[in-house]
Amino acid sequence: MSMRGNEDEKLDALFRAYRDACPDPEASANFMPTLWARIDSRQTFLFSFRRMANAFITAAVALSIALGVYMSIPRSNPGTYSETYVEVLAEANPLDTPDIVAPVRLDLNGR
Amino acid sequence: MLVDFELIKRAQNRDSAAFNEIVLAYRKRILGTIARLIARSEDVEDVAQEVFLRLYFSLDQLRTPEVFEPWLYRLTVNAAFDYLRKQRRRQEFRMSDLSEQQVLMADATAGSKVEHEEQAKKKVRESVDSLLGAVSEADRILLMLKEVEGLSLKELEKIYKVNENALKVRLFRARQRVLKAFGAAGKKEGPG
Repeated sequence: MSMRGNEDEKLDALFRAYRDACPDPEASANFMPTLWARIDSRQTFLFSFRRMANAFITAAVALSIALGVYMSIPRSNPGTYSETYVEVLAEANPLDTPDIVAPVRLDLNGR
Repeated sequence: MLVDFELIKRAQNRDSAAFNEIVLAYRKRILGTIARLIARSEDVEDVAQEVFLRLYFSLDQLRTPEVFEPWLYRLTVNAAFDYLRKQRRRQEFRMSDLSEQQVLMADATAGSKVEHEEQAKKKVRESVDSLLGAVSEADRILLMLKEVEGLSLKELEKIYKVNENALKVRLFRARQRVLKAFGAAGKKEGPG
């Protein structure tokens, strides 16, 4: 127990010595100019990125509006879907049409 | 607090002069913290600039000036952690940075008291860096903030945004690992 406590104290002392051995360094003369140059550079990048993003959003909104308007305009050829589903089916399958079951005319005198 | 709330509010409103004052006030402290966290003097300024850069662009997200310091520390910890993650692949080179030649030359010239003290400090730095190698980078940073920077658990709670008990457990485990490494190093040095 005392051994552990002793080691703890030694470690604390080592950390304190480390703090003294690593004093806060002084900044170089270029610190502030370099920092502001980096800030300006990042700001320019962000500004152009934002401008591009805005342009993209504007284009997307304009395209959506154009598509909306296009979809809402009634079609110029209204006859396209004027037939009913049954009529379309009948046209597509002519064998099912009633002319097959039409009455047969027999000409008995002509024989 | 090294600056008043009014200055922080001005900086939040994109006042360059106010931001400049904040940087000048905290620069030395942040440089010191980063120097101890990353243990690579040549990159300290670069990481510190990254911290202030992040501060500049995130200052408007700060709700109250009262939490400015924990906020700045969190940015510092994150920047240091990002740096260490990038450097992980180059870890091996760190050992060769302290080349044998440099050590021999330093030994040869270490005659005066100042040089002797410098050597002792260097040894302390190397010992602690080596001991903290026993824990993960995240725990290394946490231990540094607690043991070397002297931050309280309350302050760490604000920085890490986790509850005090979780922090205590993490700190205890990290410290146990370091203590184990410390004990092993002591035994190695003991007989010799």
